[in-house]
Amino acid sequence: MRHKRTLSRGPRAAGVLHNPRPMQRACHPFTARRPGRGPVAASLAWLRHCVLPLLLGMHVAAAGAAPTQSVRVHAAQAVVSDSASFPAEAVPQVVDLPDDWSLSRPGSNGPVWYRVGFTTPGPQELGELLALYIENVCTNLEVYLNGQLLHRGGRMHEPITQNCNHPQLIGLPAGLIAAGTNMLDIKVVGHELARVSSRHRAGGLSALAIGPHSQLEPVYARQRALNVTVPQAVSATLLLMGGFMFVLGWMNRRESHLAYFGALSVGWALVESRLWLRDLPFDNAVSELLLCAMLPLLALACIQFLLRYAQYRSRLLDIALPLQCLVVPASLLLAGPERLHLLASFWYAALALQTLAAAAFYLRTEYHARTRSFWPMAMLLGIACVALLVEYLSQHLGVRSDWTLVARIATPVMMVLVGLRLLQQQGRALQVAEQSNAQLEQRIREATSEIERNFAQLAELRVEKVTERERKRIAADLHDDLGAKLLTIVHTSESERISTLAREALEEMRLSVRGLTGKPVQLIDAMGDWRAEVVSRLRQAGIEADWQTPADELVQTLSARAFVQTTRILRESVSNVIKHSGASHCSVGCSIVDGDLQILVHDNGQGIPMEVDGRLDRGHGMASMKQRAKQLQGQCLVESGPGYGTVIRLTLPLNRATEPA
Amino acid sequence: MMNILLLEDLPQIRAWLSSLVMQVFPDAQIAEAARVHDALGLVSAIKFDLALVDLGLPDGSGVDVVAALREHQPETQSVVVTIHDDDEHLFPALQAGAFGYILKEQARELIVEQLQRISQGEPPLSPSIARRVMAYFAAKSKPQPMSASSVVPLVSLTERETEVLLRVAKGYTLPEIGVQLTLSRHTIADYVKQIYRKLNVSSRAEAALEAQRMGLFGR
Repeated sequence: MRHKRTLSRGPRAAGVLHNPRPMQRACHPFTARRPGRGPVAASLAWLRHCVLPLLLGMHVAAAGAAPTQSVRVHAAQAVVSDSASFPAEAVPQVVDLPDDWSLSRPGSNGPVWYRVGFTTPGPQELGELLALYIENVCTNLEVYLNGQLLHRGGRMHEPITQNCNHPQLIGLPAGLIAAGTNMLDIKVVGHELARVSSRHRAGGLSALAIGPHSQLEPVYARQRALNVTVPQAVSATLLLMGGFMFVLGWMNRRESHLAYFGALSVGWALVESRLWLRDLPFDNAVSELLLCAMLPLLALACIQFLLRYAQYRSRLLDIALPLQCLVVPASLLLAGPERLHLLASFWYAALALQTLAAAAFYLRTEYHARTRSFWPMAMLLGIACVALLVEYLSQHLGVRSDWTLVARIATPVMMVLVGLRLLQQQGRALQVAEQSNAQLEQRIREATSEIERNFAQLAELRVEKVTERERKRIAADLHDDLGAKLLTIVHTSESERISTLAREALEEMRLSVRGLTGKPVQLIDAMGDWRAEVVSRLRQAGIEADWQTPADELVQTLSARAFVQTTRILRESVSNVIKHSGASHCSVGCSIVDGDLQILVHDNGQGIPMEVDGRLDRGHGMASMKQRAKQLQGQCLVESGPGYGTVIRLTLPLNRATEPA
Repeated sequence: MMNILLLEDLPQIRAWLSSLVMQVFPDAQIAEAARVHDALGLVSAIKFDLALVDLGLPDGSGVDVVAALREHQPETQSVVVTIHDDDEHLFPALQAGAFGYILKEQARELIVEQLQRISQGEPPLSPSIARRVMAYFAAKSKPQPMSASSVVPLVSLTERETEVLLRVAKGYTLPEIGVQLTLSRHTIADYVKQIYRKLNVSSRAEAALEAQRMGLFGR
């Protein structure tokens, strides 16, 4: 026990490997970190010349001691063989881990058996579940402990399950662990670099770590999240957003850039799925070809998106880009799977350059247009470009670090942000469109109501005009025919009585015409007319006339009909005064009493004798005066008495009298 | 000797008017016409001192004859003789240059008196005509979009003329107004004549301006 503890203290101890470096500093599995350069150089140098089997001492907690530390294995025995178990008869070769097949055995497709030995104090003393953690294995593996199959990553022959991006954590059951030396055999199947488009999918095995399950589990979980879960989430997001944008752009052809962006997002989601989708129904050659065929499509979508977004459209590119989508898979097919990696790298670079050129073009256009979206878009595109560059370099140099993973995530995240930006723009455009639509509708409504109003006015005007014309025609006819005949009678009749009757008839006719054609008359104007007529008639008859009108401003109007009727009544009254009263003085007063027009005609004549009142009525025209007043909803009262004279009191309601009859 | 034009389409009325005119101006030479066309022919041939013009005629309006007289014989006094007493019919005639009006159906004595008054330079003026004249000049005095004043002399009523019109519109007779303003009957008559003249001058200027605007003049 003490001995083992001592042994475990440092890497100097023979057969014991203690890796003091933190596990989190993951490095590239297959190339970097050659043994001899790290702090474990001494032990690894020893291991290289060590006799087989390779022994691995582990510091384990004995009887409740402090938890053991996991160890990292940087070397293993390796044999190329397709046998069912580690070929004991073959002479194994000691390889450094990570073992990158493209370097250690170029052109080999495996399978390769790896053997690592380690010692433990036995399960009882160990007290804790041990586990084997493999950061990277490509393409698939089987794990045996002491000859017993522990784990299989999936199908071991074509189509091989793709585990290149899946970290592995395999529990080592206590029942299989023997005290002392244990043999861990790992069979790896994979593809040579030439047959895969990405270096990340070329065959190989990273360094191993053996240690307590509880300690390795968080490392595994983190790696798995970065390698698998995040790409899955990104794929789902891109797929949803891309699909949505595609439909949006498809439905609105003027926004074709949206459709291209949607296609780009969906395509990216599909390519990204290669990171976490393990089992495809095709063998490696087909799936690699499909993947490579996707790339020119992505480039097409991306370039067209950028150009269309910059309001630019090139007929040449519209033809060239789809053509490229055919040329790329065709060239890969022609070259055959052996030269896939070479050609894919070439196309990858070519497509990246095209896309970069499109991005530069877009940004230049935006910059010259001085749009507000220049800086955000420049930043997003810049980050995406840097991420692509990092990805490309990591591919090319075969470096795999956290930066690679971050870069791999950054690009789709940028795409999501661009998508959000596009959606925002679209939303704003929609809002603006809706607003202008609403404004337009409002304007149309206003215009319509205006037109309707105008039309109604026009129609009304037209009716008025027609009516007016018709009235004028009737009036003209009356004047020309009736008027002329009456006039002839007036001036040619021998009889003075007939002459007078005809003259009165002519006056009546004129009033009727006026009632027919006339417009409402201002009360003040009507009073002027009445005064002029009444006063001049009375004066001519030698009767002293006195006229009184209200001093204050009159704003009321009389309808033409009311004016005409009132004129008649007044004329009749004055005629009576002149003809029958024998008066020397007559006063006429107009006043407004409680909204009624009141006209008082008062003479100092002999009055109308009571006993002949009824008989006189006809001759004096009293009945017709009363009748006319009644028609206007007013009344005409006659008061008379000997020595008192006659008072004619005419009352007309102004508000009703002004209404058109 | 006095030359008088009598334009009236009804033969009996024309004869009656003719006898009436002969009564007022016993030594007058009367040229009778029944149509506007005939009257215009007479206007171009004979120089008249007085013209009695009916408005509604078979081939047009007497207003044209009034206008022609005003144009070719400015000294002639045109008097409208009509059965239309409304300002709708009378006002255009007054604008065209008529110097007064007589309603045909009035008693012979009344017409004789009016005719005498007119020939002596005392034209009649009814309240409604006075209101029309005031409204016309009020509308003219408003600032107009195109500066009419620069093209035609701006005709406006004097304060006294407006005062007279205002009183006529209220129904006061001309003698009454004379008493109110302590002016002689002749002065009042002069005001009325002046008002008619201004109405005509202003209307003519307006018509000329209108014609110019319509492109009939100019160039």
